[in-house]
Amino acid sequence: MDHRNAVLGRVAPAFRVWVRPLEALSQPFSWLIVGLTGILAFLALYPSLFLFYGSLVDEPLGVPGHFTLQNYANAFLDLEAYRLMTTSFIFGVGASGLSVTFALILAWITIRTNAPFRRLFELTAIIPNIIPPILISISWVLLLNPSNGLLNVLLMRTFGLEKAPFNIYSIPGLIFVEGLILTPLAFLIIAAALKSMDPALEESAKTLGSGEFGVATRITFPLMRPAILAAGTLNFVRAVESFDTPAIIALPARIDVFTTKIWREALGSFPADHNLAAAYGVGLLGIALVFVYLYRRFTSQVESFSTVTGKGFRPHQIDLGRWRYSASAVALLFLIMMVALPFVILILTSILPYYHVPTWETWQTLTVKHYGYVFQHERVYRAFGNSLFLATVGATLCMLLASLTAYITVKTKIKARGVLEALVFIPWAFPGTALAIGLLWAYVNFPIPIYATIWILLIAYVTRFLPYGLRAVTSTIVQIHKELEEASVSCGAGFFVTFRRIVLPLMRPGIMAGWIILATIYMREFSASIFLYSPGSEPLGPLLFFLYIDGQHGPMAALGIVISVVCTVLIAIAQRFSRWEAR
Amino acid sequence: MLRNLSSHLALTVLCLILAPAAFSQDAKLIEAANKEGGKAVAYGSLETETFEPIKNAFLKKTGLKVEYWRASATKVMDRALSEHRAGKPIYDLVITNRNPMDLMREAGIFTKYESPSWKIFTPDVMDPFFGPAYRYNVFGVLYNTKLIKPADAPKSLTDLSKPQYKGKLVISDPTQHTTIVQWFANLHKIMGKEKADKFIRDLAAAKPLMVESFLPAVRRATSGETPIATGFLKWVYMFAHREGVPLDYIKEPSHLGEGHFIALGSKAPNPSTAKAFLDFFLGREGMKIIADEGEFVPLKGLDPKVPGSDKWNVVMMDELSRNDLKKKRDEYRKIFFGS
Repeated sequence: MDHRNAVLGRVAPAFRVWVRPLEALSQPFSWLIVGLTGILAFLALYPSLFLFYGSLVDEPLGVPGHFTLQNYANAFLDLEAYRLMTTSFIFGVGASGLSVTFALILAWITIRTNAPFRRLFELTAIIPNIIPPILISISWVLLLNPSNGLLNVLLMRTFGLEKAPFNIYSIPGLIFVEGLILTPLAFLIIAAALKSMDPALEESAKTLGSGEFGVATRITFPLMRPAILAAGTLNFVRAVESFDTPAIIALPARIDVFTTKIWREALGSFPADHNLAAAYGVGLLGIALVFVYLYRRFTSQVESFSTVTGKGFRPHQIDLGRWRYSASAVALLFLIMMVALPFVILILTSILPYYHVPTWETWQTLTVKHYGYVFQHERVYRAFGNSLFLATVGATLCMLLASLTAYITVKTKIKARGVLEALVFIPWAFPGTALAIGLLWAYVNFPIPIYATIWILLIAYVTRFLPYGLRAVTSTIVQIHKELEEASVSCGAGFFVTFRRIVLPLMRPGIMAGWIILATIYMREFSASIFLYSPGSEPLGPLLFFLYIDGQHGPMAALGIVISVVCTVLIAIAQRFSRWEAR
Repeated sequence: MLRNLSSHLALTVLCLILAPAAFSQDAKLIEAANKEGGKAVAYGSLETETFEPIKNAFLKKTGLKVEYWRASATKVMDRALSEHRAGKPIYDLVITNRNPMDLMREAGIFTKYESPSWKIFTPDVMDPFFGPAYRYNVFGVLYNTKLIKPADAPKSLTDLSKPQYKGKLVISDPTQHTTIVQWFANLHKIMGKEKADKFIRDLAAAKPLMVESFLPAVRRATSGETPIATGFLKWVYMFAHREGVPLDYIKEPSHLGEGHFIALGSKAPNPSTAKAFLDFFLGREGMKIIADEGEFVPLKGLDPKVPGSDKWNVVMMDELSRNDLKKKRDEYRKIFFGS
């Protein structure tokens, strides 16, 4: 067998899978593709089908029912439904618009100006991995609630106001907090596009007499447009599907968005209506699929607009002169809003005997008893145990699936690639709430006892965050030249040996970085867990929420700080394996 | 004197006869419980802070564990019913108020267990199926006295709609919480229908903050975020005792109340452990622990600790059927949410 045949025969026998199927099935690599496709199809399609099933029957979860369209009629055929859609749309557009605006300003200051300390502001990208979004929402309620929000009280005392200037329990409050939470995601997309832009275009414009403003509006912004649209579309979906902020702000304020409607009326009230929840879930999934499809189109435009070539260059940098400190101040303000204020209020809450606006007497009553609660309470131990199990096992399974999927989609030319890519697209778009409801319907009568166990959470986590793992590992895999694999094959190694001894070690930095990022996400996951957990399998995200709604602010804040410290340590380790820019 | 002595002797003889029987039942149950794995699961709306000491005392006495999941009565009912329908119940015991307990009983999720501990209760607190109400909750409106001076506090429920209390009120959300639906629906018993209906409409117009149940509501009052909350009057003692939070309550001529019960699941995975716990929970030792935490326990010598409770006129709430609850929920949703 010559070299060419060796490569085709061992590394990529799937070239022949579709030519001679029976012969191909005798190859281990073909079985791998079949198995992987089967697993991905099961993860993505099974809950989707049951979500539809639940929305089309008339009996509750666990009871066989008859076909009906009544659930859709109840969900979408009255005025209330249009009010709900309008509010969700306003919330989604507002939060997404705000996050993109903040991200654009931050990215521009960080990458395109000579503002001092600009490297510090790149920390924005890792915030969501450190502070769970639900804690950011809770922090802002503690800061800006109209009665005793700390910032409101300070402003009232300082300026002698009779009424609190801000009310977090409002649509603007909801948009503001969700906008802050989504800013890092928009920053990642926009900063990457800004970095990859060839400065030659801007320099040419300057040479031809354009000022900085003209360059920005006529060159930079048009080139950035696909990235801005991509960030905006993705964040719109993330806002509409999110339950963290709406659970904390919208529910008490009687503001209905899709996810609160599912929680409050379909699942939270008596009698619970799981069919109505499924109908809302299908609506949410439909919106997400449309907008994630748009996002992917915009992302492909970003790639086609990308002006990066192999040659090294530094992005065009603007000298802000005496305004450079002002630019830093603006960026610092964003960082304070996103990290410092939430962190400070959480630390304060964790050392107050019970939450209240601090007075001079307060300083004598500070306590660490809430940290004692975290380290002594059985429920917290169990939740930590559950989350650690989900983080380690879930991230490992997810990265294993992601590595194999990425390898097949990037490194081979087989036809099954398209199927795999399509299957991965579904979890990318699946809102956590809709996925959770689909999984409840899917596993309630499943022959293997998965319903109401920790395994249903594991399945949800792996399914929902598989695209994150893929993104981490794909960026590494594209850099591995095929010559190395060919050399391995030439020396007589088969696919599995080549994958284990050549590809995996080279992918290790990407796999490790992806693993740790997934582990931090799993440590604090909330939107799907809240619908799926059972009393023995409660993870940290729902525990934080219940401690908060039960008014146990001190233990909640102490637990939040401990989770954030654990995540920071994990992120520091991840930094050693992979640079953030590489993602 | 002699008569007293003979009655004491008779009681002692009775105890000597009954004690070994009770002890042997305990021993047998504990042995069977250990064979099951020595652990039971309870779902309930009883506060975790009250449940913990009794759970720990039970563990110390028997070596058996009870895992407890606390949520609002509505969530407890929904979870228990869902698991029952799916044929996969995780819970062995359910502990919550009468109305949801009755709805769950109708769905067949309980089995009657006549605990030997029933004997210590008087007949007036006994239910033929559940046995004794282990505690009574008395409903009312509480406020944080650090933020609202008694002179400025509302004097009656109808005062809550006054402009000075706007933005200071938190209630549990009637679309999420069956017990507040039941409270609203029963207010006519202490206020009269017209006044009760007007009160509910005025309350909705005051746009109170909405939370999942009574406990989250009172927690917002203790933190000062919304200093006035609907809830249970026992919290005046409990929060002062546990956390030093100053609460008081609006003194009404009459207050609504409801009993709380504990019951064994009909498909309990660990029935022996659950029975052993139920016996301990309803026994004098368990009741004393609950009373010490500040609960209103219907046993002589274990009196409520809230100041003024001896003067309360408590009117028991009527129960609502499943359909009535749904009807009332939809009615209050229209009033509070406008749709």
